[in-house]
Order: sequence, then C-alpha cells, then structure tokens
Amino acid sequence: MDRITDDLKRPLVDLLLSIADDKFILGHRNADWTGLAPMLEEDIAFSSLAQDEIAHATALYQMAAGILGTTADKLAFRRTPEEYRCATIVEMSDDFNWATAICRNFFCDHFDLLRLERLTNSAYTALAQLAGRLAAEEKIHVDHVDSWMIRLGRGWEPAPARVQAALNELAEIAPTLLEPPPGLEKLEKAGIYPQSRSGLFEPWRDVLHDVVQSAGLTLQLHPPSPSAIGGRQGKHGPGFVTMLDELTEVFRIEPEAAW
Amino acid sequence: MSRLRDQLRLPGEGDLNLPPETDLQPFEVFIQLQRGKPHAHAGTVDAADAAMALQFAREHFGQDQACVHIWVVPREAMIGTEYDKDVISRLTDRSYKYARGYQVRKRWEQFRSKKDVDQYEKEDLKEFF
Repeated sequence: MDRITDDLKRPLVDLLLSIADDKFILGHRNADWTGLAPMLEEDIAFSSLAQDEIAHATALYQMAAGILGTTADKLAFRRTPEEYRCATIVEMSDDFNWATAICRNFFCDHFDLLRLERLTNSAYTALAQLAGRLAAEEKIHVDHVDSWMIRLGRGWEPAPARVQAALNELAEIAPTLLEPPPGLEKLEKAGIYPQSRSGLFEPWRDVLHDVVQSAGLTLQLHPPSPSAIGGRQGKHGPGFVTMLDELTEVFRIEPEAAW
Repeated sequence: MSRLRDQLRLPGEGDLNLPPETDLQPFEVFIQLQRGKPHAHAGTVDAADAAMALQFAREHFGQDQACVHIWVVPREAMIGTEYDKDVISRLTDRSYKYARGYQVRKRWEQFRSKKDVDQYEKEDLKEFF
C-alpha cells in the first residue's frame, strides 16, 4: 500500500506521534545524563543512544508531517500538551537515579523494539521500511540496557537492591506504554498496524522476564486496564507541562526560524 | 538538557564508599573503516567485561565516522615489547633489509589495474617507488 485513505490518516498520525513522542521525550530525559552518567564510557554511550531516540522521533515526525502537510519541527515543538501522545513512563524525571534511568529504558526499549518489529510487516510500505531501519537501531538500545540490567542485578550491593526497587516502582506505570492511541483498531483492520493474536503485552512481559531472571531480579507486570485513559489520549502527568515549556522555549522565541 | 540538572547535588569527596571504578578493566579498541582494510587502533575503554567494552566502543569510536567492524581486546591479553629494553630495529646498519629500491611497478601492473597501483603508491609506498 503506497497511499493512505483519508479515513486512516488521523489514526496513522496518532500512531506515528505516539511512537515519536515516546522517543522524543525519553531522548530528552536521557540527555539530562550527559556529563553525569556513572562512568565516562557510559556517559558517551548513553548520550549517543539519547541522540538515536531524537533521530528516530525526527524520522517519524517527518512521516506524520507529510500526511498532515506540516513540518517535523512544528509537530515536535508547537503542539499543546494534550496533543502529545507519549506514555506516562517517559514523562517523569528519573531524579538522576541511575537504577531508575536504566529500568525505564529497559521497559521502553523492549516495548519499542516489539512495536517496531510489528510495524516492519505493515501494509503501508513506507512505514514498514522505516520501521525496519529503526528496529535495527533499537536492537542496539535493547542490548545496551539488558547488559546494564544484568550487571547491576548480579553486581554487589547496593546495586541489586536499588535496581529491584526501581523495577518495582516502574512496573506500576510501565504498562501505560500499551495504551492504544486513538483509532488503532482501524489501522489493525487495514493491516497498517498488523494484528497479532497475542497482542504486545505477553511478548513484552516474556522478554522482560527472561532478562530479569538472568539478572537475578523479579518483576510483576500486569496488563493495563482497557478503560484507563492516559498519555496516548493526551492526559499527562503533573510535571508534563513544565517539562514541555522548557523543552520548547528556544523554539518559541522565533517559531519561524530556519534551523 | 533541562534545568533539573541545576538542582542536582553531586557527591562530594568522601561521599562514595567504593572506589569509582573498582571492577573495570581496560580494553583496547580497533576499528575498521572499510571491509578488507586493516583495523586501526582507535583508543581505550574501561568496562566490566568484553561485551560491555564492545558496546562502549561502538558508541565511542563507531559514531564519528563510518565504521564497519570493531575489535576489543583486554589489555592484559596483549603482549608487547618494552621501549627501553627490547631492541626491534637493529642498532648497526641493516638498511639493505628495508623494503625500498625494488622495481616492482611492472609486475604489479600485470595483476592489478594501473589505477589500483596508483592508489597504492599514493597511500602506502610513495617514498619507496
């Protein structure tokens, strides 16, 4: 499929924005670690991976912008808070707790990879191709975060206790990643977001579980309530507006400037 | 980067009760910029183990130029000479052993294209041809 029919445009844009906003906001949060990560090598690696998130977001914003007739920059910086589609887990600060940072990326990177892999089979050719490229890069993120989980989990105290505490805390909000963006069922029906019998929760839980087990840690994950309304529908946490204000303040000085 | 960083209290001296890098070891990193070309030493990373060293090397040395392959080697696995102790080049005249003065161009051209030889001369053996 090379063209998107009009009735599928809005749902597709919402799906693209949900993926892009997850990556954009997570990349922004992770960039806060530049100069502060626990060791020099990781500082560079973590910052480099944060740049990947922004690059992935840019590619997805560009696709959405093409459908809407706007620009990637405007999508990234000029929407109201309710128009963002990111999940709760990427919004909040990790309070510069390395265990929280790693656990957050652990939930998000694995989910991202599964979502992108599913999209590589999209009936919309352009999206399938883009998802293939992004998934190949996302695999690097997954390898990176898994290796941290395992090394922290098997490390000396207090590392295992701290990473277990962060896992427990984030397990409450991690399933917000699975909230469907508006109109997703239409995309599933059209094969743009290919349906799978098990959905994403079980594969996600299983792959997380394998790593957690290998790290000597435990994880209790529950599927999200189908009636929950959260970030994918524009309902964000209390710190979101402040964060977004700061993130967009340079752009807002001169919105029409060419960057 | 956000203003949250301004509120962060960095640990002062004495706050850390472990040496910051207790269980890390150095790995030497070699990168290859093109398939078939030699790997060149790029630098060093400290890491807990080889897998992590490879990840660090990918981000640290593989991003600022196109790079197709990386090796990491634990420094302790590398055996080397000592600058002041081990003689490598002889101290008395053996200059006849240096690879210079050979008239090889015609032979090279028999099995390589002229363009390749030109390139080879330019890159590697300029002073000897």
